Amino acid sequence: MQIEREIVVPASPDEVWEALTDPELLEEWFANDVELDPRPGGEGVFRWDDGEERRAVVREAEPGERLVLDWEDDGDVVLELDEVDGGTRVHVVETAPDWSAALELHALAWTAVA
Amino acid sequence: MDRGRVERVFDALGDPGRRSLVVAVASRGTATATELAAELPVTRQAVAKQLVSLADAGLLRARRAGRETRYEVTPEPLGDAVAWMVDVGAEWDDRLARLGRAITDRAGR
Repeated sequence: MQIEREIVVPASPDEVWEALTDPELLEEWFANDVELDPRPGGEGVFRWDDGEERRAVVREAEPGERLVLDWEDDGDVVLELDEVDGGTRVHVVETAPDWSAALELHALAWTAVA
Repeated sequence: MDRGRVERVFDALGDPGRRSLVVAVASRGTATATELAAELPVTRQAVAKQLVSLADAGLLRARRAGRETRYEVTPEPLGDAVAWMVDVGAEWDDRLARLGRAITDRAGR
C-alpha cells in the first residue's frame, strides 16, 4: 500500500534538493523542528507542534536526484527530482510496511464490498 | 492513527490462506471452523488456528455458540488501512503545497 504525489516547483533540482535536506529549510514545509544528516546512514528526527515525533534513517541520497528515508516506526518515503519546463518535478512515494500484502488487501477490500 | 494495528492487519493478511478465510467468512456473514473446513481443502484444526490468529489481529470477532466458536468480519481494521492512505496522502498534499510556497517565496526575494 502506498501513496504517490507530485508537484512542480519553480526552482532548479539543486535548489529543491536544499529544501529537502537542509534542516532549516525543511522546517518551512515538512515539520516544525528538524534534525537531519542527509547522507546514506544519516539520521533524521522530525517533530511537529502537536507533539508527534518521527525518526528516520537516510537509505539513499543522490543530490539533486533522489532521497530515500526509512521511517523508524514503519514504511519508507522516496523523493525524486526531475528537471522539467518551469522548474523541478518533486515526486513522492510513501509506502506502508508490507505493501505486497497491501496491494492484495486492496483487492480484498473490494471483494469484501462486492 | 494506530500504525501498530495497521501492521498487524497486514501481517494477518500476508498469507493467502488467511485472506481467503476472511473472504469466506465475509461472504457468509458468520461462520465456524467446521463450516469453513467443509468447503475448503484444509483440516478443521488448521482452519480453527487461522481463525484465532485473524481474531487476534482484530479482523474477525469471535463469539461462542454452543460447542463451537462462530466468527464474523469486523470492518474497522480494513477501515484503518484505508485511513492510512487518506491521512498520509493528506499530509503530503499539505507538505508539498507548503514546499511550493516556500520555494516560490524564496525565488521572489
